[in-house]
Amino acid sequence: MVGKNCFAIASDRRLGVQLQTIATDFQRVFKIHDKLYIGLSGLGTDAQTLYQRLVFRHKLYQLREERDMKPETFASLVSAILYEKRFGPYFCQPVIAGLGEDNKPFICTMDCIGAKELAKDFVVSGTASESLYGACESMYKPNMEPEELFETVSQALMSSVDRDCLSGWGGYVLIV
Amino acid sequence: MSRRYDSRTTIFSPEGRLYQVEYAMEAIGNAGSALGILAADGVVLVGEKKVTSKLLQTSRSAEKMYKIDSHVSCAVAGIMSDANILINTARLHAQRYALSYQEPIPVEQLVQSLCDTKQGYTQFGGLRPFGVSFLFAGWDKHHGFQLYMSDPSGNYGGWKAAAVGANSQAAQSMLKQDYKDGLTREEAVALALKVLSKTMDSTSLTAEKLELAEVFLQPGTGEVQYQVCSPDALGKLLAKAGLTQPAPEA
Repeated sequence: MVGKNCFAIASDRRLGVQLQTIATDFQRVFKIHDKLYIGLSGLGTDAQTLYQRLVFRHKLYQLREERDMKPETFASLVSAILYEKRFGPYFCQPVIAGLGEDNKPFICTMDCIGAKELAKDFVVSGTASESLYGACESMYKPNMEPEELFETVSQALMSSVDRDCLSGWGGYVLIV
Repeated sequence: MSRRYDSRTTIFSPEGRLYQVEYAMEAIGNAGSALGILAADGVVLVGEKKVTSKLLQTSRSAEKMYKIDSHVSCAVAGIMSDANILINTARLHAQRYALSYQEPIPVEQLVQSLCDTKQGYTQFGGLRPFGVSFLFAGWDKHHGFQLYMSDPSGNYGGWKAAAVGANSQAAQSMLKQDYKDGLTREEAVALALKVLSKTMDSTSLTAEKLELAEVFLQPGTGEVQYQVCSPDALGKLLAKAGLTQPAPEA
């Protein structure tokens, strides 16, 4: 979710296989660099592998260009990597959030084969996504300060995952 | 002379030498020198820049030093275009290892894989060897700080102090005399600058002609840091060592 010169990215903590809960501390939001984070919902192994491949690409980019990747560029990279597997995809829906030039917040999401969707306010993904859309839509206000943004994101996350049996067991919220 | 054995890389001469490999080392002997010194708390790399025209406008931060991964860097002597290819190969190799094993590549393994590539060009394919010598500086959890020197033949060795490029023999013997175990990074820097000032051809030693990079562990986090010295800081270091000579008055 976008705030005033800041962004928030959040996830729940459950890793489950249908009805069985395997872990309650599963990391789904990953850092690419200080001002760029990616959240990956969906199949756990694909989320981890995709993240490792993105780190590979970003490290090479950093070594060659001697700078960090801009969020827009990174989103295009993720989209390309997902589309490479068009006929045998990664079962992952990424949520990308970062601060671009002049610390302008950037967020986007895409489907598992790389269709980018930019948004100005918030993006959601996962099993509770419909519930999240509703919660975010009603709670979102433009230009929120970091403290208020934290409250909003936490409330939206908690109320949505509570209505979804496959999500929950805590939450993780990061504000940049 | 055994001239007819020169043209192919992939055959020995009657004396048992590979001429193309030796000619590659000749090419490096004409290039700007580079020095590496292993200290107790880091590794120091110093390079001599051959081209210092005012018109040169590089976008990269350093001409002779390259970062391969967050914990390994290298200094280059020789044909820069050959070096670029090898550095790219090294970077990819390091990342592929990190992708498979989710841990940073041990420095010796990286050096070995690069040298295997270089060796391939001396044995098959009919292509000429790479005209580059490297000084690899890095840290890993198995052996701590390490310095490796590699040459066009694909041979490599771990060193406490090494020199490649122009006047490397002279530099190497000076290092052999003055190197002591347990040097700190500061002492290593001073030693490197002293040796380089004596072996460089140019009359006056200024910060523009040199590059200095250090590999060390960040005090707070313990992460490996690769830092290229800024020209101002380098100028101050030279002055402190008493090595700057005023440019000759026109």
